[in-house]
Amino acid sequence: MANYQAMTQEWLEAWKQKIAGSKEYQEIAKNWEGSVSIIVNPDPERGIPEAIYLFTDYWHGEVRDFLICDKAKAETAKFVMSGDYVRWKQVAKKEVDSTKALMQGKLKLKGDLTYVVRNIKTVNKVIDLLCEIDTVWPDGP
Amino acid sequence: MDGLVDNRAAEVPFAGIIAELLTTNLMQHREKLAVFRRMQGVVAIDLADIETAVTLDFQDGRLRIEAGIVGVPALIIRTTADRVTDLNTLRIVGGLPWCLDEAGRKVAAHLLRGRVRIAGMFAHPLLLTRLTTIMSVM
Repeated sequence: MANYQAMTQEWLEAWKQKIAGSKEYQEIAKNWEGSVSIIVNPDPERGIPEAIYLFTDYWHGEVRDFLICDKAKAETAKFVMSGDYVRWKQVAKKEVDSTKALMQGKLKLKGDLTYVVRNIKTVNKVIDLLCEIDTVWPDGP
Repeated sequence: MDGLVDNRAAEVPFAGIIAELLTTNLMQHREKLAVFRRMQGVVAIDLADIETAVTLDFQDGRLRIEAGIVGVPALIIRTTADRVTDLNTLRIVGGLPWCLDEAGRKVAAHLLRGRVRIAGMFAHPLLLTRLTTIMSVM
């Protein structure tokens, strides 16, 4: 199975394909509308010299654009989630539950929180699928 | 909606989430605002897994949020961070939490298995029902 460098366009494409290929996701996410940006705060010591902006877009069980983007594009998303590199890595490795990270303030969310809670199964499924990708992290395993 | 929620636990991220969730919910569902206005009582939510607790003091149509468990709350909800949002997904039918759909069965199972514990639920059913109503995002 292929390995993907974390937070690259290829990694995003692999994630997108995972989601697009999931029948369970299509069923769970049939009511979800809108984009989600992920902002990874800089962490030079771990190989992240500057912030990374990821833009992902979802529409009623389908997946649209999955892009590495700039700050301006990221901020156009319906939801913007931000956090340190180590937190995102923990989420992607299933070492930390994203809901828990939000409640601890380790991740921050900008957008309609009630919508996210209403669709928490969709959010969790997208993250579960991310966890299935064989990822090579800038600072190692 | 200004002044409805007085968050005195700004240093606790979970308190900010409750304040934002509730404020947005009341803005989007005016019928919940009427329920909120009638609430009187103190509720604590204790999430031991993230070592976080907040106290929600409903008085005179306003909510004050304090860090930790303050005083003697009528209700104390003890659960984990990943399960507390399950309570927000309960549907309200006829003014009562609905336990016959997937979300309701999930919460019922949490209660039966002790994954969610609510001290005071039998002594203060009205407060619990109203809390569920205003916090439900469904």
